[in-house]
Amino acid sequence: MRRLFRHVRRSASDIRSELDEEMRFHIDARTEELIAGGSLPKEARAQAEREFGDMEDAREYIARMDRATEHARRRRWFMEEFTQDIVYAMRRLRASKLFAITTIVTLALGIGANTAIFSMVRGVLLRPLPFPEPEELYRVWSHNTNVGNPHVPVSSPDVEDWRAQRQKIADVGGYRFADGASGLDLTGSGDPERLSIVFVTTGFFGTLGMPPLLGRLPRDDELVRGGADHVVVLTHGFWQRRFGGSPDVVGTALTLNGEPYEVLGVMPPELRYPTDRADAFVPYSSIPDESIPHIRPVRILAAIARAGDGMTEEAVLAELNTIAGRLAQQYPENESYTRVTIEPLQRSITGSVRVGLLVLLGAVAFVLVLACVNIASLMLARATTRGREIATRVALGAGRARIVRQLLTESVVLSLIGGAAGVGLAYLIVNGLLGLSGDWLPRGAEVRLDAVVLLFATALSITTGLLFGMVPALRSTSANLQSTLREGGRGLAGTEGRRLRNGLVVVEVALALMLVAAAGLMTRSFVTLLRVDPGFQPERLLATVFTINTTRHPNPQYASLYARLLENVRAIPGVVSAGAVKDAPFRGEGERWGFRTPQMVLAVGQDEPSAMIMHVSDGYFRTIGARIIEGREFDATDRRDAPFVVVVNEALARQYFPGQPAAGESLVIDGENVPIIGVVGDIRQTAMEEPGRPTIYINNVQNTRVKVTMVTRTQGNPLTMAGPVQEAIRALDPDQTITSIFTYEDIVSEAVSQPRLLTVLLVSFGVLGLILGALGIYGVLAFTVSQHQREIGMRMALGAHPRAVQRMFVARGLGLAGVGIAIGLAAALALGRFLSGMLFGIEASDPLTFAAVTVILLAVAFLASWLPSRRAASVDPIMALRSD
Amino acid sequence: MLPVVKGTLDVLVLKAVSGKPMHGFEVTRWLEDGSGGRLEVEDSALYQALYRLEERGLVEASWGVTDNNRRARYYAITKAGTRHLASESERLTEYAALLATILAMEPDATA
Repeated sequence: MRRLFRHVRRSASDIRSELDEEMRFHIDARTEELIAGGSLPKEARAQAEREFGDMEDAREYIARMDRATEHARRRRWFMEEFTQDIVYAMRRLRASKLFAITTIVTLALGIGANTAIFSMVRGVLLRPLPFPEPEELYRVWSHNTNVGNPHVPVSSPDVEDWRAQRQKIADVGGYRFADGASGLDLTGSGDPERLSIVFVTTGFFGTLGMPPLLGRLPRDDELVRGGADHVVVLTHGFWQRRFGGSPDVVGTALTLNGEPYEVLGVMPPELRYPTDRADAFVPYSSIPDESIPHIRPVRILAAIARAGDGMTEEAVLAELNTIAGRLAQQYPENESYTRVTIEPLQRSITGSVRVGLLVLLGAVAFVLVLACVNIASLMLARATTRGREIATRVALGAGRARIVRQLLTESVVLSLIGGAAGVGLAYLIVNGLLGLSGDWLPRGAEVRLDAVVLLFATALSITTGLLFGMVPALRSTSANLQSTLREGGRGLAGTEGRRLRNGLVVVEVALALMLVAAAGLMTRSFVTLLRVDPGFQPERLLATVFTINTTRHPNPQYASLYARLLENVRAIPGVVSAGAVKDAPFRGEGERWGFRTPQMVLAVGQDEPSAMIMHVSDGYFRTIGARIIEGREFDATDRRDAPFVVVVNEALARQYFPGQPAAGESLVIDGENVPIIGVVGDIRQTAMEEPGRPTIYINNVQNTRVKVTMVTRTQGNPLTMAGPVQEAIRALDPDQTITSIFTYEDIVSEAVSQPRLLTVLLVSFGVLGLILGALGIYGVLAFTVSQHQREIGMRMALGAHPRAVQRMFVARGLGLAGVGIAIGLAAALALGRFLSGMLFGIEASDPLTFAAVTVILLAVAFLASWLPSRRAASVDPIMALRSD
Repeated sequence: MLPVVKGTLDVLVLKAVSGKPMHGFEVTRWLEDGSGGRLEVEDSALYQALYRLEERGLVEASWGVTDNNRRARYYAITKAGTRHLASESERLTEYAALLATILAMEPDATA
């Protein structure tokens, strides 16, 4: 038999019916055979059927085989169509290069920005901490219920007692780390270096649960007073830097502050808590009492706890509250500390940036939506010019679904290309942002473009493509077939399409307004912050931080060393003035002591008020340019043996001596009457946004601290004095290690770095939104002009003045913008409260900002409408009437 | 009656249609005659084999008319089928001979 077609596909039902026919034929043939052999017809048929047996088997087998091949064929067919779609899409994109490039660039910007911010959100907020079962970890504070302070640092006897008395809680530990203020000198091997140390109590490592990379962790008996607590665990970074990653360092001894400490082990690089700048962990118990007394009233530790199996946050809180309550009963020093405050550890680390990051994520999402709307409009315009082509294809039998699929493929291909470019852009953006953000971004090291982020980028690209492709695709395939073919493909230029395009523009303007409003609010807030008077003049101020070594300079010698250091530094040519403070602004919070005024009467059980305590040298305030409001600051006459006096700041004077001069008054500190010799203007210490809190300044000569920030006002560039200052210090102690060097301008800049970054980003997004919105208005109006050339020509031929035509278009554009602005204002006011956490000095509904933003948007809308209107006005009526 | 050894039915069917095209019934008859009635071929298995051969492109099927003017589905061998038949026949024949030799040998006695 000859065949015309090989492998013509048979459908499943064909196969079934053919098989049945074959079977019937087979049985008939056998029946005939038997009849020919002499059997009776009925018997012959019965026998034939019996012999044939059960065909169910074959039927099932064949049906099953068939389904399998059917699936394979269908898949192949689908892949073929799909490849066809992609090839066709690529061809069309190559044909309209300008459109493709504009779109891809827009998408790259939008998807790239979103991916970058998402990777930050993922690394900082979403990714769990690198400890086993991190959801069980909590940060713990003491809660002073008397004065109502829920976040008080913890004392070491309290931490030990919490740990000892715990029941279901798995472990409790404490640590002390103060950047630049908790350190030990490493000597004896290579250059002397001041190490940044985290001092830990028992339970610290147990709570975190992270095993060491090398060696072992300290045992409990190595973390208590009287035990073998001269041990040290190194951080990974320090181990690499100082010991080149050599495993031999375990078991050796390091000389810290003159004493040998045995190296027990090295931690893995993932350990970045409490900081990624520490060099080593040392037992807190090894700090001698002369430095920091280990008594219950000295509360300077941070505490962490790990919940037991299945414990809820409430259960952990309850257990710790019970223990704290018990201690409050037992120890009078703890009378007011009847409770604790806890917070999941991850939240306590990232809480401060959470709002900022989420606002950025929202803003950048808006930008992407704006971009999509723009592209959708563009594609709608493009679709109208393809109307005829599509109508023809429909007429030829292409299913509507098929065409929609093909159009969507085009948009998804566009957006995937844009997305790929966007990922590259995101990489650059993330690196840039991390560089700019410096230290304020917690967990910054965990931000990277990993698999999840790439998956996000891909999903975002595809969704974006579907989003902006869906509308034009559905529109262009629903157009009335006949009219489209007749009108020559102008179906979408009719009313239906126009309403949609206008609606898109309104949405764009609303979104743009919201972005610009956010940018405006943030900018005003930042500018307000920049105008804050920090209480000093930061220009040309160099700070050199070091800690006097008490082994080499024990009391009382180091008081005189302190004075001689100041003398030496003041003698350096190029140094205008010099002074010293314990903690530079934003680099420490001093200490906290209780005090009262002589007139104050405290009720039974009421705590004394407390103030921030800052140790300064003579001439410090003059050096940094702080204002002396009353009296004087410390000078050479306030020697060590002279009567103890203090200086207070304005905040303390206003609160405790309202309406009278505070200089000449005295405070009662530790039972002693201490005269106030002067009042200085508030100096911002904790954060630029935080106004000055009541502060008492102590003369370091009378009550010494070993940490010194030597501050020098220089004639020229302060950093050029860094060398001479170090030399002057080393002249008095050649082994003195320097902890850090910076300028006061640096710290002021750092103090506003988070708001600065947020402002820069939001303004960028605002500008982007403005540009996209303007493009949207322009695009719609330009398109309308080009589509309505005939009408315009007719109007002008009938006597309409070009100016009037222009006005009409501008009015149209402004009208659309107006609606968008109204909607945008309403939405911005409603959503504004999400921003209020980030704003300083202004409300989220600041009328001035909103007014300015409205004006800006109207101006941009006007410009975007005016340009195409000029084209309309310049239409030559005769040419327009002739063309089609 | 010997049942068909698994895996060999396809080759047998292919052989049957390697000459002129045949329909299913003819194939059954040919195999029975050729084996002197000793080969037991299940009809169900036969049609499964025919379907497999058709799917693999070793035979082509088309509807035709018998001498009695009845509609029947005829199977004809293709070029690919011919090639496959040649190699499989050689392989199976060799294997059968080997089988016979080994089964005729004396096994080693227990030690």
